[in-house]
Amino acid sequence: MRIRRKYLFYALAFTSAIIAAAVSAIDAKIINDVITDDPWAFGVSCFVVGTFVTLIIVLIFSIPLKGKSLGSKIIDPSFRRLRLVRKEELKYHTLAGIGNAFLTIGYFFLLSMFGDPSAVLPFSQIVILYLILMESIVEKNIPTLSEIQSSLIVTFGAILVSISLTGTLTLESMAIVFLVINPAWVLFSIYQRKLKLLKIDKRPNDALNIRFWNVVFACIFVVIMVNIYDLFIGSSHFLAGITASITHFGWVALTMAVTFFSYVFYIRALGIGKASVTQAVRASTVLFAIPFSLLLAYLNIIPPFSTDPVMLLIKVIGTTLVILGIVSFALNLVKAYVFINVKTGVPIEETMKKLWNIRGVTRVTATAGPYDFIVKIRTRTLVKGYEQIIRKIEEIEAIEEYKWESVLKEWEDI
Amino acid sequence: MINAYILIMMKPGNTDKAITAMRKIGNVEKISVVAGEYDIVVRVHVKRLENLLKVTEKIQMINGVKKTTTQVIEKELAL
Repeated sequence: MRIRRKYLFYALAFTSAIIAAAVSAIDAKIINDVITDDPWAFGVSCFVVGTFVTLIIVLIFSIPLKGKSLGSKIIDPSFRRLRLVRKEELKYHTLAGIGNAFLTIGYFFLLSMFGDPSAVLPFSQIVILYLILMESIVEKNIPTLSEIQSSLIVTFGAILVSISLTGTLTLESMAIVFLVINPAWVLFSIYQRKLKLLKIDKRPNDALNIRFWNVVFACIFVVIMVNIYDLFIGSSHFLAGITASITHFGWVALTMAVTFFSYVFYIRALGIGKASVTQAVRASTVLFAIPFSLLLAYLNIIPPFSTDPVMLLIKVIGTTLVILGIVSFALNLVKAYVFINVKTGVPIEETMKKLWNIRGVTRVTATAGPYDFIVKIRTRTLVKGYEQIIRKIEEIEAIEEYKWESVLKEWEDI
Repeated sequence: MINAYILIMMKPGNTDKAITAMRKIGNVEKISVVAGEYDIVVRVHVKRLENLLKVTEKIQMINGVKKTTTQVIEKELAL
């Protein structure tokens, strides 16, 4: 199927956000009604049961169907079957697994220390800005000013939507969010993106195997960390977790099964867009969570939804900001091809490297035909395209002439 | 595996129908409508050079296609 790449990205990120909102509703039910006394036990059981449930799901999606697998037909076209981790993936899976483990441990540490983390959790949305910072340092595609602006709008909007009057805001809880949860999410997100961009057997890596192995690696790290914690504190959270995995299998399996689909779509979106932009669009979870919260409040599972006019106004402003931020991401994107002819006497590799080093260049191809190079450009505005790309191309001495062709619309095989 | 770009010039008024026809051709990875000397840029992924000829032929048979230029990819750096 050939669809527009932009549509696919937003469809994946929004689907992931809607499912994540459903997961948060199931989690609220589990924490309030099922596992009330020990949030650590819930954390351990999530990964233990999650590994089992994810394995079953991926095995079901590995069933062959008309020459392809069931998973490739309905979830991710790159998926063939469940496979072992490849050598080149090991480092990324380890780091993404550590990220996921710390993220989870940080969250359950908050739950166990403060009971109600509602006041501090909205600040986890600032992870979008952490991702921007990381991309600026380590990635070639540095975020543009308009991407930073849109990210800030979404971040502040998401904080306002998820803001809560309950719970306490302490220095320790803020430190856990800013120094543990957010950096762990960055690790989790950046390395899952790197995994998705890897080629396995000359094919794009698939989201189902990435998710399965992430759960396995995170499970190993969580079990190690909880056991160390138990050893120092003298608690028995690990045993409680194993017991909870058996006694509350149904609920935990449900939340992990639904989480699986949320992350598979998230990983697929990560393979298309930047981690920061994907995260910003996925922040719309806070909007999709509103109907679920209303339902849970109606069913008396969580406290009633605040009808305080000031809180409602804050939430309306937050919602508007999130929508505005996401819309501005969607509208500000310019893509172009530049067809280039070079002078003789300069090594092709050298020119290729110089073109590749230009910010905004996403693809450089050396070709046989009337043009020597075809370069793909991605920029947020045409002005930036001129200032950052054309000027740099003109600085390369080997280039004899070039033609800029702006992309008006694009379809891609998915 | 061979990857190539096919740069297409169109006669005015046929672009929409031509794109619909191109979206049905196998081996076509990406279709970009562009503004400039060319009208459409198609990225193709084929197993053999012979198959590239078949895809080019199919594109040339589409009503409204005036001229095609094929650029075979020799080396690529991509994000």
